[in-house]
Amino acid sequence: MSLSASEAPGKAARFRSWVEERLGWDDLAHLAQKKEVPIHHWTIFYYLGGMALFLFTVQVATGILLLLYYRPSSAEAFESVQYIMADVPFGWLIRSIHSWGANLFVGVVFLHMISVFFLKAYRPPREATWITGAMLLFLAMGFGFSGYLLPWNTLAYFATKVGTDVPAQIPGIGHLLSRILRGGSDVTGATLSRFYGIHVAILPAMTTVFLGIHLYLVQRHGMSVPPGVERPGKPKTMRFLPDFLLRDMVGWLVAVALLAALAAFLPWELGVKADPFVPAPAGIRPEWYFLWMFQALKYLPAKVAGIPGETLGVLAIGGLVAVLAILPLVDRKRSRIWNVAAVLVLIGAAILTVLSLLPPKGTP
Amino acid sequence: MKRRLLAAAGLLMATTAGAGPAATPSVAKPAPAAAIGCVDCHLALDDARITPPAKAFADDIHAKSGFTCVFCHGGDADATDQEVAHDRKKGFIGKPSPRDIPGLCGKCHSDAAAMKHFNPSLRVDQLSEYKTSGHGKHLAQGDTRVAQCASCHGAHGIQPVKDSRSPVSPRKIAETCNKCHGDAALMANYKLPADVYAKWKKSVHYQVRVEKGDLSAPTCNSCHGNHGAAPPEVGSVANVCGTCHAVFAEKFRVSPHWEPFKEMSLPGCVTCHENHEIVRPTEAFLAEGDQGKCSSCHEPSSAGGKAAAAMRVDLVALAGEIRAAREKLDRAAEAGMEVSRARFELSKADDALTTARTDVHRFQAAAVHTTASAGLAVARSAKKDGDRALAERDFRRKGLFVSLGLILVAIAALLLKIRTLPGGRESPKS
Repeated sequence: MSLSASEAPGKAARFRSWVEERLGWDDLAHLAQKKEVPIHHWTIFYYLGGMALFLFTVQVATGILLLLYYRPSSAEAFESVQYIMADVPFGWLIRSIHSWGANLFVGVVFLHMISVFFLKAYRPPREATWITGAMLLFLAMGFGFSGYLLPWNTLAYFATKVGTDVPAQIPGIGHLLSRILRGGSDVTGATLSRFYGIHVAILPAMTTVFLGIHLYLVQRHGMSVPPGVERPGKPKTMRFLPDFLLRDMVGWLVAVALLAALAAFLPWELGVKADPFVPAPAGIRPEWYFLWMFQALKYLPAKVAGIPGETLGVLAIGGLVAVLAILPLVDRKRSRIWNVAAVLVLIGAAILTVLSLLPPKGTP
Repeated sequence: MKRRLLAAAGLLMATTAGAGPAATPSVAKPAPAAAIGCVDCHLALDDARITPPAKAFADDIHAKSGFTCVFCHGGDADATDQEVAHDRKKGFIGKPSPRDIPGLCGKCHSDAAAMKHFNPSLRVDQLSEYKTSGHGKHLAQGDTRVAQCASCHGAHGIQPVKDSRSPVSPRKIAETCNKCHGDAALMANYKLPADVYAKWKKSVHYQVRVEKGDLSAPTCNSCHGNHGAAPPEVGSVANVCGTCHAVFAEKFRVSPHWEPFKEMSLPGCVTCHENHEIVRPTEAFLAEGDQGKCSSCHEPSSAGGKAAAAMRVDLVALAGEIRAAREKLDRAAEAGMEVSRARFELSKADDALTTARTDVHRFQAAAVHTTASAGLAVARSAKKDGDRALAERDFRRKGLFVSLGLILVAIAALLLKIRTLPGGRESPKS
């Protein structure tokens, strides 16, 4: 017996009603339809949050696919990634998108944070939104740091050695922290298993919590309007659904196109398998978003007033990070000095990053 | 005047070192460090002939081990008067004659029991080796122009061989030999060429040793020996080269050339590779022409000539196939393709080429052909991997363009939809 044309909508409506009765989707749909996005000169920056969320979703999806083939041991990690790149159908695409996507994700999160800072979107009552956002930035960097080691290649191995040495500079608990991070006194297979666990379980769990709170707070407080726009009066708005979302989707498609082009023309390199017994090759450096820190620590003198220079550097960077995390609590009067300080920090970090990318002296 | 100065220096020394009867030099128990009267006087005199050796001796390995001048020169180190210090009755010999130097050094360096006190691992056969050398034989005949211990090691300020300041240290030995062996007038006396160093500088050994810094590559003493330095005899050339090039020497010994070379007194490896100007061998050695080695004895139409040509064809084919495979894999790698396993496989073809080149020294075309054919199969397989990787690269790029087309269509559709949406509206009043 087949359904007649007039019977079909009836069944669909009944199914919808059946679902609504159990899940209460209409409340969510109502919430989404009510959501408005302000229109002003800086509206474009609102898309960065959605872009970061989209890229995070790409990372989760490609990461899950990579998990199906990746083997987290020093004996098999490199070979399993090699297998993914050479033998698994479209494995090269998934891995390259995951690697390029990670960089794009961190970059977009940085831009999101910078735009939120300069648009002063952390003004009351959005302090907690900023703090959870800062935590998400740190988690994104943690994803990058832990994921970098997973292919177990030479560059990643030695960069991780340098990276896990940094916490050892913290007075008192530094060495213990470094040992905990490495799972021993040196970077070994134990570090790889540990980083794998951090990358696929601990960080995703923490991200789920902070992202959940962050998104809830964004919905709770709505989009912040910059003080300069707010003063003359409330700006016009557009509906989130579908007006804003459709524009968001244009950006996501551009991101997909960019990731696909990078994967096809510049597949992420695998390098040479890590060998702890060979000397560190020249040009060891961490991911680009840690370069400014890496370079700053290089310039520090061995001792400053009897205190090891690197210890001071690590403490200073820790202080900077702590201020960033609790910025809404310290910038209560929205003084311009914070803007000046942020511009100086950004210029300094950019200069340090460029310097670290220059070839060392004596290189032809 | 000189005597007064010596006396003054002697007095000074007596106040610091104390005067007493001259101790009999003992190798096992060198004289105490205080017995350095000779040095004090010789330094105080500031004489261009005798002061520099006294200065140099301060840094000499023998001085650091507690030896003093009297161990080689005799005399009385404690004497404050020149005549007493230089008393022939007290064994003073002054500057030893070159002819006596090997015996003088050998007094200690040939004494195993004595040397154990200083360096138990040091050889004690240098003197007996020296006597077998060209240098030693000429010296025994009274020719003092030849090298003896001091000519190479220096007389005062002698450093251990491993010390880079020593003239016989691994990086300096060739230049030290060349001081005499590059002297055309001196070499003419012995009917020896004076261009050996210049030729060695053109060799593959020099490139590896000096330009690449690999000290395992040979220098003069690696082939000629050091204390027993002499040219390798015609019959022992293969043995000498074989100390490093063991596989080549082994294959050469079982080759059909071994016996005829011996019968014709041909100097083994040197026949084709030269002795000092040993250049990197190429397949051209097997061809006719200026660089051809086989063709200097074998007519192209002879069995030997044909075998050489066949070996060359195999080696050239394998080298060419490896080159082509590597070029493809490199192109694929530059495009970001994962070809490390194919590259590893190709290294087996490199190994086969190396083995085939050693097989040339068996002088049997079939042996070269077997090895080269195995390598050729590996290289062809790697080349196919390279082709596949390049085809995959093209597939990816085509796939990308199709995907980009679809994405562009989707973006266009979204933009069209956005255009139909109403513009901004006044903020809802809360």
